[in-house]
Formats: sequence, structure tokens, C-alpha cells
Amino acid sequence: MVKTQYVACDHCDLLLDAPVLHEGDCALCPRCGHKISRLRRQLHAQLSAFGMTALVLLVMSNAFSFMMFNLNGNISEITLWQSALNLYFEQYKALSLIVFIFIVVIPALVVCLILFFLLMIKLDYRPKPLANVLRLIFGLLPWAMAEVFFVGVLVSLVKLVTIAQMDLGWSFWSYALFCVCYAKVLSLLDRYQLWSWLEQGHRYG
Amino acid sequence: MADYSEGSAAANGLVNCTECGLVAGQQLTVCPRCNARLRQRYAYSLQMTLALLITALLLFIPANLLPMMVTEKLSQVDHTTILGGIVLLWEEGSEPIAVVVFVASVVVPVLKFIILFYLCFCAMFDSTLSEKSRVNLYRLTEFIGRWSMVDIFVVALLVALIQLDHLLNVQPGNGTIAFAGVVILTMFAAHAFDPRILWDKPLTRDEKTSARE
Repeated sequence: MVKTQYVACDHCDLLLDAPVLHEGDCALCPRCGHKISRLRRQLHAQLSAFGMTALVLLVMSNAFSFMMFNLNGNISEITLWQSALNLYFEQYKALSLIVFIFIVVIPALVVCLILFFLLMIKLDYRPKPLANVLRLIFGLLPWAMAEVFFVGVLVSLVKLVTIAQMDLGWSFWSYALFCVCYAKVLSLLDRYQLWSWLEQGHRYG
Repeated sequence: MADYSEGSAAANGLVNCTECGLVAGQQLTVCPRCNARLRQRYAYSLQMTLALLITALLLFIPANLLPMMVTEKLSQVDHTTILGGIVLLWEEGSEPIAVVVFVASVVVPVLKFIILFYLCFCAMFDSTLSEKSRVNLYRLTEFIGRWSMVDIFVVALLVALIQLDHLLNVQPGNGTIAFAGVVILTMFAAHAFDPRILWDKPLTRDEKTSARE
């Protein structure tokens, strides 16, 4: 017995009629104010566009140098990978893996899975395991810490400019833009809409 | 079992799938859309949250006492803890950054501990705060949880960048692992907490004793 004419609020379990949304509308829970769903204009197209941009930017930010540190001619230069993996060689393997997974692996995985899901919906091909892809996406979301890392980068920059000359590489700028695109993808992701796309024959907006 | 709140899916014999949000009948055990196990409320929500919180609280002690960073400058070795680093930043004249680090690595974890313990208390006993403000507190912990990782990322970057042998080099301290553990455990604790139990009415003392008998 499945009742698709109903939804229930995730934060207070209030039973509600399924919202009928026009583009640009947002449905809130009347009891606790939790966002049930928000239908953005051309959600599929916007998500694909920002997702692809984010992926290209993330690949770019792994290709160039991230920051250069110059203390009276003693220069050290790191890439995004090294910022995490240098710890690995300093016998802090657990820490380096945590950092690397949070700032590169999970954001990349989330973006790739979203793009894969959008492609399958576009092709109108919905195999059973596609539900697991969607579950994985929403399960991984809280562990992608790109924007937190970026604040960390800014903090360490301010710390270091007082003692040495700092130069920013191309990676820094592309990672900054990646954070912007990624934040946009997150704000577009809507659990209710994405799951409803998964149902057979559902027209996506 | 507590009473489910009025008008909730649970009170109407329906289950809201926690993974995909499909509303299905109570008699189903597996969600027909996403294959997740269907449950009225997260299993052992309070026990899991409290267990993770207490573990995190214990780890919070070494996280604050052990050094986060070990700096070697011209063979002179300095150990800085979280609070020590903030004081140092403030004295060096970068007050705004000191405030950012203070909020991210001291205020946020402490706030999370207080709110989550309070919410667990609310779910077990009744309290004066309205359900809506409690759920807002829960949303706050969910939102701020990740931001405590800032300090770990700063240490990782400084260690990666500053390796000039004996002239100046930075090593991570043991505090980093404890602190990363605190952040990750409190994030798990916030996820293990089911905000819907805040709306269910806890049993009164009479009902509890009658249920036991």
C-alpha cells in the first residue's frame, strides 16, 4: 500500500496532501516550517548546467598549483592533492585521508552521481539500482565540506601573509568558483522532486 | 511506546520513508521505491545520539589539552593547543580571524553538545520550550556541525605548505585526531537524532509504571 497522494514532513511527521507546485513555488510544512519541496524553473537543465561546470572546475583545481609560499627565497608550492596528502607522509595517515575524502573525493562523487542520475532520467531509463544512486547522493551530502575547506584556506592565508609572501595559483581560483557552483547545486537539489522523477513516466520540469 | 503527535503520518497508520520520503502503509517493512527499511522513528534514536555525544564529549578533553600544531622555528619547538592558537592570533593583531577560529572550533562544538543533550532531555521528559523552537534548535545543530572542521583544514594546509627543515616547519599534533573525532562523532550524533520524536508526547509517570507492570 503506497500513498503517493500524501507526503509527511521529515521534521515533525505531519501528514500532508502532496503539494501541487508551479515553477518557482515552495511548499513549507504548516506546523514546523520545514521545506517540503521547492520547484525551481527548469530544474533539470539548471542542475545539469551547474553540475557540469562544477565538475570541470574541480578537475581544473587538481591540475594546477594551489598556493605558493615564499619566505625570503625559500619557496614551497602545493597542489590541492598535496594539501591533504602531505600529511600522509608525515605519519598522520588517518588525518590526511579524512581531509582528502572530505574536500576532494566526496564532493566529486556527489557531483558525478548527480550528473549520472540526471542523464539516466533524460534518457528515460530507470533501472532499479538508480534508487540506490539517489540514496547515496543524499547520504553523502553532509560529508562534502568544500566550502568549509575554503574558509580554512582563507584563514591560513591570513595567518601566513604576516610572515611570508603568498602567491595564489590557478587551482585556488578554480576551487573558489567550484565552491560557488557546488553551493548552487546544493540549493537546487530537492529531495521530493528528484524522487518523483524516478517514478515511471514522470515528466521532469 | 510514546503517543504519536496528532495529525502525524504515524498516528494515521502510515510510515514516512526516511530515505526517499514515500508515504507507505504501516504493514510494509521495506520501502517499495527505494528498498530502505521502513520504520516509524529511527531505531534507538535517543540511545545512539546519547552514546555518540558522550564519546564525543570524552574526546573533547584531549582535543583541547593536546597540541593541535607543533611549530619548529630555528630549532625552537612550540606546541599550540586550540585555545592557545586563538590567543596567539589575537595577540598578533588578526582579531577577525581569531574570532572566526574561536566560533568554529570552540563555540560550535560546545553549542552542539548543549543543544543535543537538551533535545535528548526534552524527548525523555517534558519541557517548557515549544516544539517548534526545539526543532529550530535541531536544524541549527545540523547546519553548524560541519563548520568546526575549519581548524583541521587550517592545520593540514599549514603542514603541507611550511616544510623548510629547521628554519621553519610545522607538524600536526595529536590533538588534531581527537578534534576531528569530536566533529565527526557529533555529526553522526545529529544524524542519529530523529526530530520527529520531539513532537511525540512522552509518557507520563503513571503511564510508565503501568506499562512496566
